[in-house]
Formats: sequence, C-alpha cells, structure tokens
Amino acid sequence: MDPMEVFKVEIAGEEFGAKKYREIIMDILQDLGLIRSIGRLYVFVDVKKPVFAVYGLLRTGIPPLLVRDVADVAQAQGGFQIKVNDEEHMADLLKVLWEKYGRERVEQPSRDVVVVATDASPSDLPVADLEAEFRQDLTDALLRVAPEGFRNRRNEMTDKSFFFIAAEDTLKPELIFEVKEKIRSMENA
Amino acid sequence: MLEPVMFTGGVYKHDLVMELVEDLGGYVLQKNVTQSEVILLLLVPKEDMEALKALISELRGELVRAPLAGTEVAVVTPTLAIHHLPHTACDIAEYLRRNGAKSNMIGLARGVGRETAQINEYESMLIDEHDAVVFIFGNFVECIRKKEALYRNINIPVVVTGGPEISKEELPYAFEYVPSVGRITHRAKKATELGTLDNIIESVGRALDRTRTEISKDPLTTSPPRVMDAVREQVPEVEYSFSPLPIALNLNGVRVKLPYEKYKDAVRAVKFDEGVTLGEIATIRPSKMKDYILVRILPMSETGFVF
Repeated sequence: MDPMEVFKVEIAGEEFGAKKYREIIMDILQDLGLIRSIGRLYVFVDVKKPVFAVYGLLRTGIPPLLVRDVADVAQAQGGFQIKVNDEEHMADLLKVLWEKYGRERVEQPSRDVVVVATDASPSDLPVADLEAEFRQDLTDALLRVAPEGFRNRRNEMTDKSFFFIAAEDTLKPELIFEVKEKIRSMENA
Repeated sequence: MLEPVMFTGGVYKHDLVMELVEDLGGYVLQKNVTQSEVILLLLVPKEDMEALKALISELRGELVRAPLAGTEVAVVTPTLAIHHLPHTACDIAEYLRRNGAKSNMIGLARGVGRETAQINEYESMLIDEHDAVVFIFGNFVECIRKKEALYRNINIPVVVTGGPEISKEELPYAFEYVPSVGRITHRAKKATELGTLDNIIESVGRALDRTRTEISKDPLTTSPPRVMDAVREQVPEVEYSFSPLPIALNLNGVRVKLPYEKYKDAVRAVKFDEGVTLGEIATIRPSKMKDYILVRILPMSETGFVF
C-alpha cells in the first residue's frame, strides 16, 4: 500500500516503464526515509523528447530540532549541564554550542555530558535544521530517480512543493511550461 | 570429450581431487580458496566422471555441472553510476560466475542517454576479446531499440536484457533478448527475479554453444586448456601474477596476465610435446585489457594440423 495520498506516473506508450518507475521511486524514497514527508507525487515522462519531470506536494512543518529535544538540560554549578540522550546529535550540538558560547565556555566531562558556563538556559537553541536536511535528501533522491543521461536539470523548491525536471537537450522555457501544464492536467484528472 | 564441472568442498585433501583430475587427463581451470572452503573449476573427461564423483563423495564435497566454465563473459552497463549498479549488474555477473564463467564488468564511458549514448573503438575491441556479452538496458522500449547502436559493431554474440517485452525481430543485432530485468533498485531475491537470471544464463549458454559449433567446423589446432597448461608449466612467472586467475580461458585462446613487452617472447616460445611452439600455432598480441598478452589459437585451415 502506498503511504502517499496520490502517486501518479504517466509515461506515454511505456506501460511497463511506468510500472517499473513506480517501484524504483518507492525503493529510493524508502531507502532515504523520505516517503512520509511527501503527500502527493506526480511523475511525467516523455521518452520521445526525452524529458523526465516530478512534481510533489510536501507534508511540511518539520520543526527544527532543539537542544531540549535531544538532551536533558539541568542547572548546575556555574552554568547548565546538558546530558545528551541520542548520541547521534552530539557533533551537531557541540558545533552549535561552540559557535554560541565559544570553546572556552563549553566543557565535555564525559562522553554524553556537556557543561556550558552561561546564565541563560541553552535548551531553546536549535541543533539541526531538519527541513534543510530533508531538502538535501530529497534532491539526492530526485537525482537518483532520474534516468542517468538526463544531464540538464532544474529543481524548483518551495515550502509546500517541489518541481524537478531533467532532459537530455537544453531546457527551454516552452518545454518547462508544457511539462508543467501536463502535470497540472494530471493533478486535475 | 571434456565436461566442465565445479567442485566445492573443504580445503582438507582437496589436492587429491586436483591430482586425480590431472591423472585422468583433465584440467584445473581455476582454484579459489575462501577460508576453509575451496572451489575448483575443472574440465574432466566424460567417461571418467564416475571416478571423480566417487572421490568427491568420499570427501563430502559437492560436484555440479558448470556449463559456462572456460569462457569469459562481459557484463556491460551504460556507465558505472548508481543508476546501473550495483543490483542488476552485480547479480548477473555473480550468477555467471556461479555457473563457471569468468565475468568482467564493463561500464561504458558515454553509454547514457537516449540520443547521446555512444561506444568507442577501444570499448568495442575490449568487449570483442570475450566469448559473449550481456548488455544491461533499462525499462523503456524506445531506449532499448535506440541503443542498438551500442552493440551493432560487436562481433561476439550479444545477449540484451531490459525490462519490457520486445520481440526478437525488433532487435536484429542481438543474439537474444531477455525481458523483465531492466533497472531494479533492489537485489534479486524473488523467485521470478532468480528465474530471470536463469534465463540470462541459458541465453548466454546458447550463445556460447553457437560459437562452439562454429569453431568445430574448422577446429582449433589445439585446445585452450592445453595451451593454458603449457604456459603455466613453461612460463612459471605467471603464477606470481596478482590476478586471481592468472591465465583466463576463452573459447578460442587464452589471456596471459603478464606484461606484454617483457613476456611475449617467452609465451611465443612455449613448446608442446609434438614439437611445435605456441608462436607457430597461435597469434600472440597485446590485449586491450591492461598490458596483458592475448593468445588466439589458429584454426586447422591455417596450420594444417590438429593435436
């Protein structure tokens, strides 16, 4: 079962290819753990031109990861003690703290504990921008999905959606317009 | 008639198997030791197979037929990028290996795109050194038809694989077309996928059989395994080659994995019991693969005798 609400693949004259590309896209999105963040996906391919385009609506609103999400913050002597629960974020956390307070005020007495010499609690500092990471992963996925010879690419991303187009020939405005129209008609169908 | 078989068993006493094969007049093509297990590719006279089977059952080993043994098969993908590797290409190459062939993976430099795909002279000459080739294409009928240009000038049998069903008539330059492969982003594990791999093996087997039949019309002066044995004996440096298979067998010759300039004369001077040298019954030229030596045995029509 597709976790996405809508997933349409249209490849004129290539029924087998359409079926297979569905599988490929599913495999790649699953590999990169992106499948839950995409609401609707429309894929349009014209092998004769040849052009490959993907339009997707995002399930956005991933809040940035804060210090209090990844660690327990407690007031301690001369500052705040941060005990990291998920070590995966340790590197990001240290980087943020160093930037904000400077290295001399950040101490790491043990593997999962950091002590910061400060008066204000650091618990609301953002550790990682998940949204930006997601965008990076999504671009990576799109590059993997697109057939390899399609070297001319364009990626338009907004908060709510993304539009990716790749072709062998130069991407002309008319072509982009035409493909967008096609996808719009798929959306309304 | 020599029968190609593969022995899998423990390292302990496997030398008895090798000795027996040599005593029977067969050949050990390849020996792979993986920790406590050993895999031997053998050519054994058909009438003596029972003797070998008896020994192997005593050693608790396993003996299976390896129809592709003694051949080299190229697996060609449009490039070596993530779009084509690893799954399909590696699965096919590994399956060929399990059936006894030596498989080489070749990624073309500019094989991608529907309009832009191309192959250069060096690549096609390198592919021509093999006995058969498997071209791996994608999921679109249109592209598979269009990419015929990539293998039109290849002189060995070309097995084309791809996703959709296409009738053989539409691909006149291919030896055979095997459908339902295409671009796959996971390892072959379902029964249907494994069945497709079997189809590819069968198709390659038929391609090799065709070449064998062609060769039998004008037989080679001597058999490639015999050349391999003689080279191994008289050019001992070959044993120090770093390749896992220092002498690779083809249907019409061998590839000796030693630098051409330094060893071409030694290989040319290899002498057989009948009194002829290898230089007299074969052409010896530089291989397109690294700087190896390519030996192509001349047919009877050119030398006038067979031994």
